[in-house]
Amino acid sequence: MNAGERSDAGSSPTGANTSGPRLTRRGFLRKGAAVAAGASAAAAALSPLKDLAPEDVPSLAQFLQKHYKEMTPPEKEAVLNRITREVKDRYGVAATVTDPLPLTGVEFVYALNISRCIGCRKCVHACVAENNQSRAPEMQYIRVLQMEKGSIDLERSAHHYDPPLVPDEASYYLPVQCHQCAKPPCVKVCPVEATWQEPDGITVIDYDWCIGCRYCEAACPYWARRFNFTAPQVPADKLNPDLGYLSNRPRPKGVMEKCTYCLHRTRRGRMPACVEVCPTGSRKFGNVLDPDSEVAYILRHKRVFILKQDVGTLPRFFYYFDERGSRYHEPIAPVLPEEGA
Amino acid sequence: MRRYFAFLWDCARLSFVGDWRYHAWMTVLTALALTGLYAWCQQLVHGLVTTGMTDQVSWGLYIANFTYLVGLAAAAAMLVIPVYIYRNLHLHDVVIFGELLAVAVIIMCLLFVTVDLGRPDRALHLFRRFNFPISMLTWDVIALNGYLLLNLHICGYLLYCAYRGRTPTKVFYVPFVFVAIVWAVSIHTVTAFLYVGLGGRPFWNSAIIAPRFLASAFAAGPAFIILTLQVVRHYTSHRVSDDALLTLRRIVQVAMLINMFLLGCEVFTEFYTDSAHVASARYLYFGLAGRTALVPWIWTAVAFNLLATLLLVVPSSRGLRVLNSACVLAIVGIWIEKGMGLIVPAFVPTPLGEIVEYYPTGREVLVCLGIWAFGLLLYTIFVRISVPVLAGELTYQRSCGGLPVPSERETRPQPTGGDVS
Amino acid sequence: MPELPIHAQPLPSHGRTRAFAVPLVLFVLALALWQGPWQFHSPVPEATVVPAWAIDPTPVRRPKLRPQIQLAGFSYTCSDCHRFFSSPPETIRSLTQHRNVELKHGINTRCFNCHHLTNRDALVDDWGREIPYDQPQLVCAKCHGPVYRDWLHGSHGRTNGYWDLTRGPQERRKCIECHDPHVPPFPPMPPAPPPSTLRMGEQGDGHHDDAVNPLRLRPSVTHEPAENPTVPDGGTEAEEYVP
Repeated sequence: MNAGERSDAGSSPTGANTSGPRLTRRGFLRKGAAVAAGASAAAAALSPLKDLAPEDVPSLAQFLQKHYKEMTPPEKEAVLNRITREVKDRYGVAATVTDPLPLTGVEFVYALNISRCIGCRKCVHACVAENNQSRAPEMQYIRVLQMEKGSIDLERSAHHYDPPLVPDEASYYLPVQCHQCAKPPCVKVCPVEATWQEPDGITVIDYDWCIGCRYCEAACPYWARRFNFTAPQVPADKLNPDLGYLSNRPRPKGVMEKCTYCLHRTRRGRMPACVEVCPTGSRKFGNVLDPDSEVAYILRHKRVFILKQDVGTLPRFFYYFDERGSRYHEPIAPVLPEEGA
Repeated sequence: MRRYFAFLWDCARLSFVGDWRYHAWMTVLTALALTGLYAWCQQLVHGLVTTGMTDQVSWGLYIANFTYLVGLAAAAAMLVIPVYIYRNLHLHDVVIFGELLAVAVIIMCLLFVTVDLGRPDRALHLFRRFNFPISMLTWDVIALNGYLLLNLHICGYLLYCAYRGRTPTKVFYVPFVFVAIVWAVSIHTVTAFLYVGLGGRPFWNSAIIAPRFLASAFAAGPAFIILTLQVVRHYTSHRVSDDALLTLRRIVQVAMLINMFLLGCEVFTEFYTDSAHVASARYLYFGLAGRTALVPWIWTAVAFNLLATLLLVVPSSRGLRVLNSACVLAIVGIWIEKGMGLIVPAFVPTPLGEIVEYYPTGREVLVCLGIWAFGLLLYTIFVRISVPVLAGELTYQRSCGGLPVPSERETRPQPTGGDVS
Repeated sequence: MPELPIHAQPLPSHGRTRAFAVPLVLFVLALALWQGPWQFHSPVPEATVVPAWAIDPTPVRRPKLRPQIQLAGFSYTCSDCHRFFSSPPETIRSLTQHRNVELKHGINTRCFNCHHLTNRDALVDDWGREIPYDQPQLVCAKCHGPVYRDWLHGSHGRTNGYWDLTRGPQERRKCIECHDPHVPPFPPMPPAPPPSTLRMGEQGDGHHDDAVNPLRLRPSVTHEPAENPTVPDGGTEAEEYVP
């Protein structure tokens, strides 16, 4: 294209190339040295990989494993067996790994009474224990927010409160976990369909399919998703051996996880761990399609609100409160003249 | 086919040839890239815990660089449009450098996304279950890879024709050029939509982000190319006219003005409304609850951008020195504003109001440097190859046909690089 | 002398002396990286010690639901004594016995609002009829109608066990399994450990100043992450909130 440039490019080669063999030998040496140096530098750059933990290198079976929805029953069986074996090898625990399926005619809904919650965080830790979340680094699905009375501004909430006793007189408490939205933005954004909504309303993750892009974490308006920034650590003696494929089986590093309403329990008719442990009975769980269920009663008769309803994700997690307010509504220490005398 | 391999072989050999400055530059870049690879391997072993990212701030420097670079790649279209649509012949000679830049930068983008993955070993899952068209990330995968292929084809075809000494057949590349122009706009729009579509992040959930992305890209991209062309002009025989640079200046000028206007619109809406949604912007510009990590950065960016705009508007920026300073200011300013300044504040405070700040770790910075070095390495090689090939100094006949060639003076590109990186 | 294509041309003379510089630099880099520089020091904090009570689902109270009292190693029913010792119906709080019973139940200050006047092994309803000790909710319902209604439907109180009654039993906790009938407010308790997530930095206890809160419940809170300004201890600080 630049023909004009070429004509004035005048000087001839230096002429040193007349002695062919010497040049070739030198050139060969030079090239050989460059190749060797390049190769060794590349190898050195890759050297940290020698510390890669064996379980981090996917086996052929793991590499070829199909997406959860594509697995045939025998394939799923083989995968569940493999996980059982892995748990045995890694934790020395004989676990039962199952994959309970969604129940027909069931849609799970959660309701939480903010008049009664005292912010004791027992739900947080019961959840960790039940779902085999990493203890270090710490991962928790539930975050209890200490809210100022007279305000519902999340940005003025305290997450790290630690007074000697709760509840704090000037606060109320708002525990937040996955809201199992009917229009989940996290599912929408996943590029590989590693997360989806089940027929009973629970949004689950296939930990063997997630590529760890954390787009869902950015998309969640409730900050309900967690990422395994490193290999999760669960002490073997604390491992809950009742494992579900889509819920609490041990997760590898580099994948997302989240609350599943304890589906390995709830799909067998039991309550989630957070409901079981709540000392005040603020947490309510059940099948909203059953008109006699507690949650159906609450939605019909109580004043209910949804956190961040403006984002329009239609959560299956409702906050409600009692008509007569909280325990502070009425004086609990009446002044009695006889006592004072 | 044999000829095509000869072409590739010649290109590969050519990329190792140069004087000591070329070799020094390439060695430094190689060393940096390998150091980045080392840091990434550490990340593979330990997980993303080696980065400063957390559940609270789940995207950081990687995605910030990715966003910025998508803009840079898209800006290659800004060079193509005047040439092929407006027949502006000043730019004709430099179009290919823009498109080569797009190729190198898209590869950098793909690398930045790869290092951000928690499980890069599962990247193939994209081929087995592709959530298209629901997930914007799948759109981005298609947009970026498509743009890469388009530009590879256009550049490769033009270079190969020059290598063979043939005149390019228009039907084999002009339609692709037009597709690439539309595609360039789409890659950046789609990348903006990645963020814009998230209702849970009010800082991003604003329709103006996509136009802002395009405006800032069309400022930073041509600014980058202005600097690159001067390096090419200085170190190779390739002729780049001042007119071409001044045409680019006009593009940067207009894009920068639009960018500043759109930024002003955004800032006004946020702060005058002063609703709860302003928290992220407040954190970015003024700090929140005593946390001020981004404040010095964003004000640097604001200062740089304003200064760059000012310099570009005054007539003295027709002089190269002023123009170059304006370009550097614009590039740095937009890198901050659109990288860290756009990605990180959306996570602070979290949707639940917690404030956790993000500080990139040294390892994370090394990985970024490595990718930048690798991108520059690629681009240097591309320029190294394309200049003699386009000049007809390296052709099939001369390489394999044994025909005598006129002797050549050294025509080696040796970008010194400090100003472009 | 045949012309060589550009990539086969020899280096200029100064290039030859530096011909080995590139491999040298790369070798040095290789050596440096083999040493394993920048070893990774994990920022992961020690696991928080979670006390066992934090995950214990046992209710806060274990009432006997029987009219029974343990005294000096023997077990008595209430009527064992009260068939001999009658108590004045208008007794308020000048007790000779049951001094350990602290009655802080709002305006409900009379024992026989709940306890049966003549049969001490039973509780009493609004018509003076007996309510057995294992049905305390019927007593509470006399005053706390809406709460009783909510409790009946499960919106108030603990439900444990199975949500699906076809698969297993469900346990409804009665009022006094959470509330002390004599001091009914739910007792304050220490909170389980706060979150301590990766790289979260200094977080303080998160109290905001009260500048924009119309209630001013927490006057003069500064950004000092010092001790909690109001330490509630079972309601004695409630004076502020008495209407």
